[in-house]
Amino acid sequence: MRILLVEDDVEVARFVRKGLQEAGHTVEHAPNGRDGLFMAASEPFDLLVLDRMLPGGVDGVRLVETLRGQGNKTPVLFLTAMTAVDERVRGLKAGGDDYMTKPFAFAELLARVEALGRRPAVDAPATRLRVADLELDLLSRTVTRAGKKVEVQPREFRLLEHLMRHAGQVVTRTMLLEKVWDYHFDPQTNVIDVHVSRLRQKLDKGFDRPLIHTVRNAGYMIRAEP
Amino acid sequence: MRLILSLLALMSTAPFDLAGATTAQAEVVRVTTDSAAYCGELSQRLSVTPHAEAEPARSLAEEGRRLCDNGYVRTGVAKLRRALRAAMNQAN
Amino acid sequence: MALPPRPVRRVLGSASLRFALLFAVLFLGAGLAFAAVLWWGTAGALDRQTDAAIRADATAMQERWRAGGPAALVDAIETRLAADVENEMLYLLLSADREPLAGNLDDPPPQQDSDIPWFRVPLLRDDEPSEARLYRLDLGDGSRLFVGRDVAEKLRLRTLLTDALAWSATAATLFAGLGAWLLSRALSQRLAPATSTAVAIAAGDLAPRVPLTGREDEFDRLGQTMNAMLDRIATLMSGVRGVSDAIAHDLRTPIARARSKLEEALGSASDEVALRGAIEQGIADLDGITRIFQAVLRIAEVEAGARRAAFAPFDMTPVLEDAADLYLPSAESQGAVLEADIPPNLMLTGDRDLVLQAVANLLDNAVKFTPEGGTIRLVARRGARAVYIEVSDDGPGLSAEDRERAGTRFFRADSARTTPGSGLGLSLVRAVAALHRGDLRLADAHPGDPRPGLLATLRLPA
Repeated sequence: MRILLVEDDVEVARFVRKGLQEAGHTVEHAPNGRDGLFMAASEPFDLLVLDRMLPGGVDGVRLVETLRGQGNKTPVLFLTAMTAVDERVRGLKAGGDDYMTKPFAFAELLARVEALGRRPAVDAPATRLRVADLELDLLSRTVTRAGKKVEVQPREFRLLEHLMRHAGQVVTRTMLLEKVWDYHFDPQTNVIDVHVSRLRQKLDKGFDRPLIHTVRNAGYMIRAEP
Repeated sequence: MRLILSLLALMSTAPFDLAGATTAQAEVVRVTTDSAAYCGELSQRLSVTPHAEAEPARSLAEEGRRLCDNGYVRTGVAKLRRALRAAMNQAN
Repeated sequence: MALPPRPVRRVLGSASLRFALLFAVLFLGAGLAFAAVLWWGTAGALDRQTDAAIRADATAMQERWRAGGPAALVDAIETRLAADVENEMLYLLLSADREPLAGNLDDPPPQQDSDIPWFRVPLLRDDEPSEARLYRLDLGDGSRLFVGRDVAEKLRLRTLLTDALAWSATAATLFAGLGAWLLSRALSQRLAPATSTAVAIAAGDLAPRVPLTGREDEFDRLGQTMNAMLDRIATLMSGVRGVSDAIAHDLRTPIARARSKLEEALGSASDEVALRGAIEQGIADLDGITRIFQAVLRIAEVEAGARRAAFAPFDMTPVLEDAADLYLPSAESQGAVLEADIPPNLMLTGDRDLVLQAVANLLDNAVKFTPEGGTIRLVARRGARAVYIEVSDDGPGLSAEDRERAGTRFFRADSARTTPGSGLGLSLVRAVAALHRGDLRLADAHPGDPRPGLLATLRLPA
């Protein structure tokens, strides 16, 4: 993916850039909002990673508003040191697609970057998701593995749907909490882990090959290969 | 505060000025009935009026004539007029 | 001692003075209007009366002329003059060639041919100055009659009236000034406590409050509002102080712990695996610190009440169902049961995310402290004016004195020292409750039992 990183903190920029490059992405860096806006408007990118507060008169929110005003629909991930809850809402309202607070774990950032970047431009009206021998029917809301029906709760169905839509990508606990439960806070205990392990038990029980994998220090991933 | 006071003073004097303004410019008109001649005229009128000898017209007329003769013309005229009126009232 | 000169602008800038001036102007304006009406009703009426009498007289004379010709008119004039006891009637009949025929004036008024037939001329009667009001009547044969009245008497009355009005105007001005001064003084006096309080606050002392007179008037309301504002500011200030205290005392400990662990690993780790493990532990510690930090800031944000702007009506029922759904597997994985009893349509006005987080924190606590085989209950009830959300568990519960302290930042009961947590969960719940003008009450879930459990009741006014 070709990613534009607009971040004024040299140290954070270096760290994010290095990490993303190691994950196989091309990263351009702009140190302020004006340069960032210029680059984003003149070159094609798959994703913008923006600091919320930027020097140079153009901050993250204004940058996105300007781009969206020009009809540019490149996905945007906000990074911010502001913790106020309303900040997230404001960032998303301005046209951002996702939002992360500093400090963050790089694994979380990478997972979100990949989830955003690979998002299909137009949601294909798929009625059936498939990973290896696991099938999820969105119309009848049933799950089968190797042709055998697996009974899941509605919430587990949505959890599995989200994992399968991002098959091959890491999905973090916070992302699951946000996307499946629409919660925007950090629960103190491992509630998500318990949900995933229940789902995993239902799906992988009696099969040699597990499909839901735990990615250490990051989250979960569903994929066919072990 | 001083301004308001002076404004008020001006306002309150205005009517005097208006009254005075007309007096100053015009030529004076005289009243001819405040004269000894008119005293005589009234006396004569009284003498041809019926009931002029009845009281109180008679004594009023007498007093009027006396005042006129002594130079109090205006008071005299007033008395004579009253005498005339009294006489005329008597007639009615 | 000479007072320092006050700049005019500052004097005019004083609101109490402006009010006082407004009062004075209104007062004088009312006085003037009153005087005008009085004038019109008295002096004006006298004038109008005179004019009416003259007009009536003139009309009668004209009738006489029409009926009997000049001779009858002369006779009428002389009869009238002869009976004029008040000595105020004035007549002058001029022939067509302007020779006087009858009447008691020696000359016509100087501008006798003016368009308007009304004249006001100075009069000399027996060498005493007076004033006449005359009306000109042109008779058909070219002769001309002036009918009038001596208005000296009326002028005298008018002068008296003017004098009286002037005196009362002076008195009114004095009263207006006095009233304005009293008003201005009363205003400044009533505002003085608020001003002096504000000055003291501005100087840095947050303690003083505006003294109230108990009269419940506008000034008292201003004072009350100011006091409420000051109380709120004081609360916020102590909140900020609380956050900095919390950061100073309670973040220092985990930071020191993480730092010493890393330092130890740097000095004594035998191989790369051990070093890696130590660094991972360090990152985990830092994440924990960040989490605490965010929780503290979140509590401060909620306590500051800034989020009340985002209040909107929403249905609590799905929110509570979500919360139960989220924590059900956690409870079950501990061998506990989570029972939910949630009625439909629990409408509430508030911040959905925060209420959800408060309930989640309560459930989090309950799950943490419930032993195997225990029961966690999430019950919602609709009261007369509020929604009650109860979370009860079978855990060790809290002693009465711990209950008092629960909800202050970083409080952790001795019995909870070994379980993970920051001690901020209940603080946030309390803050969210307060933001919604509700409260959090803690009680024993099973009173008398050796393991009384904890019953947390969150009351949120609907």
